[in-house]
Amino acid sequence: MAESMTNTATDKLDPLLEEITGPTPGQLLWRRVFGHRGLMIGAVVVGILTVIAILAPLLAPHDPYAQSLLARMKPPVFLGGTWEHPLGTDHLGRDYLSRLIYGARVSLLIGVVAAAISGLIGTAMGVAAGYFGGRVDAVVTFLINVRLAMPVVLVALAVVAILGGSLTVVICVLGLLLWDRFAVVMRASTLQVRQREYVAAAEAIGASVPRILLTEIMPNIANNLIVVVTLEMAHAILLEAALSFLGLGVQPPTPSWGLMVSEGKNMMLFEPWLVLIPGAVLFALVLAINLMGDGLRDVTASENRS
Amino acid sequence: MKHSILKTTVAALALAVSAGAALADKAEGQLNVAFTKELENVDSYFNSSREGVVMQRAVWDGLIYRDPATNEYKGNLATSWEWIDDTTLEFKLREGVTFHNGEAFNADDVVYTVNFVADEANGVKTQRNVNWMKSAEKIDDYTVRIYLKDKFPAAIEFLSGPVSIYPNEYYAEAGPTGMGLKPVGTGPYKVVSVVPGQHFVLEKNEDYHDSPKGQPAIDKVDIRTIPDVNTQIAEMFSGSLDLIWQVPADQAEKLGQMGQFTVANESTMRVGYLNMDAAGRSKMDPNPFTDVRVRQAVNHAIDRKTIVAALLKGQSKVVSTPCFPSQFGCVQDVTVYDYDPEKAKALLAEAGYPDGFETEFYAYRNREYAEAIASYLNAVGIKTDFKMLKYSALRELNMKGEVPLSFLTWGSYSINDASAMVSQFFKHGSLDDARDDQVLADLNVADSATDPDTRIEYYDKALKRITAQAYWAPLFSYNTNYVFKTSVNYTPTADEVLRFTTMSWN
Repeated sequence: MAESMTNTATDKLDPLLEEITGPTPGQLLWRRVFGHRGLMIGAVVVGILTVIAILAPLLAPHDPYAQSLLARMKPPVFLGGTWEHPLGTDHLGRDYLSRLIYGARVSLLIGVVAAAISGLIGTAMGVAAGYFGGRVDAVVTFLINVRLAMPVVLVALAVVAILGGSLTVVICVLGLLLWDRFAVVMRASTLQVRQREYVAAAEAIGASVPRILLTEIMPNIANNLIVVVTLEMAHAILLEAALSFLGLGVQPPTPSWGLMVSEGKNMMLFEPWLVLIPGAVLFALVLAINLMGDGLRDVTASENRS
Repeated sequence: MKHSILKTTVAALALAVSAGAALADKAEGQLNVAFTKELENVDSYFNSSREGVVMQRAVWDGLIYRDPATNEYKGNLATSWEWIDDTTLEFKLREGVTFHNGEAFNADDVVYTVNFVADEANGVKTQRNVNWMKSAEKIDDYTVRIYLKDKFPAAIEFLSGPVSIYPNEYYAEAGPTGMGLKPVGTGPYKVVSVVPGQHFVLEKNEDYHDSPKGQPAIDKVDIRTIPDVNTQIAEMFSGSLDLIWQVPADQAEKLGQMGQFTVANESTMRVGYLNMDAAGRSKMDPNPFTDVRVRQAVNHAIDRKTIVAALLKGQSKVVSTPCFPSQFGCVQDVTVYDYDPEKAKALLAEAGYPDGFETEFYAYRNREYAEAIASYLNAVGIKTDFKMLKYSALRELNMKGEVPLSFLTWGSYSINDASAMVSQFFKHGSLDDARDDQVLADLNVADSATDPDTRIEYYDKALKRITAQAYWAPLFSYNTNYVFKTSVNYTPTADEVLRFTTMSWN
């Protein structure tokens, strides 16, 4: 659907002009990017949340840690609260909006760093397996199978339960667990690219293996990598929320959306907004990242390039 | 505005659904109750949970009964008792009482039960409840003597609480396993079915003897295990539950506002406190808690009044002693630390921590209270690395002495004597992080003296020393919220025991 729409949009531009000069591949790419609605929505939401996370100290109306037991669970403005606390206060009287804003930092930090760690591990393994083949491939495939056989949430729960929950532990655990999709996708992509003439040409002129991997293989599989990065970011953010919800993720008083849902759960029947607000924000972020990933795949996929 | 619409909708829905269900319940005379935790074991000697205590009081009787309203001891299975000497108690037993299975109650049952539970080899779960008894002897069919190992002034209190009398013939044959599956006692309710983990059903004992517990009025009680409070509340709305208890303060408040439930609140003997590693047992180095000024700073840092008013609510009170104020010997004339964060900071600076310090902070229940406490500590510069553990895991760490600071609670098994709390923790046991010789000496005298005045005098000394040294930061007493349909008539008691015998339909 989205693709055909993009194409019709491109067709309408100015066929005459295109016939004469023809747009550069770069121009074409940007046209596809801006013409892809899902990608734009996702990017804008992620962009806004990133800015909010970075500027948290400037934007938050209150100290997210300042408790006021006498002002507990004040409702948000739209449920009859005051502008003093636009989104109300939590069970310890802390400003909900401020905690939400600081919570964006935790979620994005975990998403980015966990995806970076697992991306590094998975890509290295996948590319090595795809390029060298043979025993290296056998070992990597075996490791991928081992990893796929382990349920992520269960392993993460066990490790966090033993080591104790903290931001660092959660990031490391997720980073070390989520590399499987990177490895699988990178291996398959490398296998394809490996057969191409330009790789054979590079080998023929005597280029070193690192050079071939970095300048011939990597640029040609990067689009797949970007897609997996976004998927795994969303995955890591959701897992953090799940762990925190179970009390095994980041520890209080650190504001985390998962923790906020968990803390509001007890009052769900009477004050549903305590759960709905962090839940909605979490949903929006994960959806936006997924839209962005889908969109990136659409606009960078090779069938769209010609 | 929207808020109230929502509430009205919920209430209206609940009313609509409950109308039908409530009628059906009343016709059958069945009271539906939910417990959060499941019973470990129906056999009360092999159970340590509050739910088991409730069962025990309903199914079995003790020799003595303490009236929860007046704290007066009354004869239950015994009609009278007297101290023959410091370690011998003689009981005259009630005649004409029968167990649920028809077995007649007499001296043999008492002798068998006492000798069984007092034998450590039989593995009664809470040894403290029974290990003060040496043995029992039958004088005649309705006269029994119980011999104590040592002087034990709280004997009457224990006999009116956890020591219930079992039928000798049935227990000898069935054992703890059989008793767990098909319990038999003399109590006001008999157990008609037990489905572990799901529910158990009690039925009125029509032949209940003339006991100070009173006669049961409700025909049937069905107790289900529902771990999630929100589910319990939803079932209250839908009418499939008549009574829930231990409802968190916030929810109880909201339920009370709805108008279709009675919300009753009673205090309990459970006291929450901060335990500090004053003896320097943990690995923390340097250990700030070995300095009395740091411990006093912790005491000054926490606004206990606000915590009680905003979080615990109900009948909870600020507690300044390492025991519950109503307990015998729990003298209140001790060092009291007011909320004074500036003073706390000054004390920390004086002790050499002008910028505060960082410490691990453990808790096992009431995460909300623990977070509030941590926030108060952070405010004076004590940075907390918060760790929430299961009770058993934290207890083990505490026993090993690896915990610098923890938020703990103790319910004293509802025993109205200071020895059940202060002596449990300050007599150099594995849970004692103070290890104060002077306190030990005073408590030894207080625990074993038979003269009440001597006991008070020495508890007073011990408590004064403990509070002056600020070994703990005693915080507050707990309360329990009981929520039941307006069709149920019940007045909860202060000892955290649900008494079905005193419930009736309106």
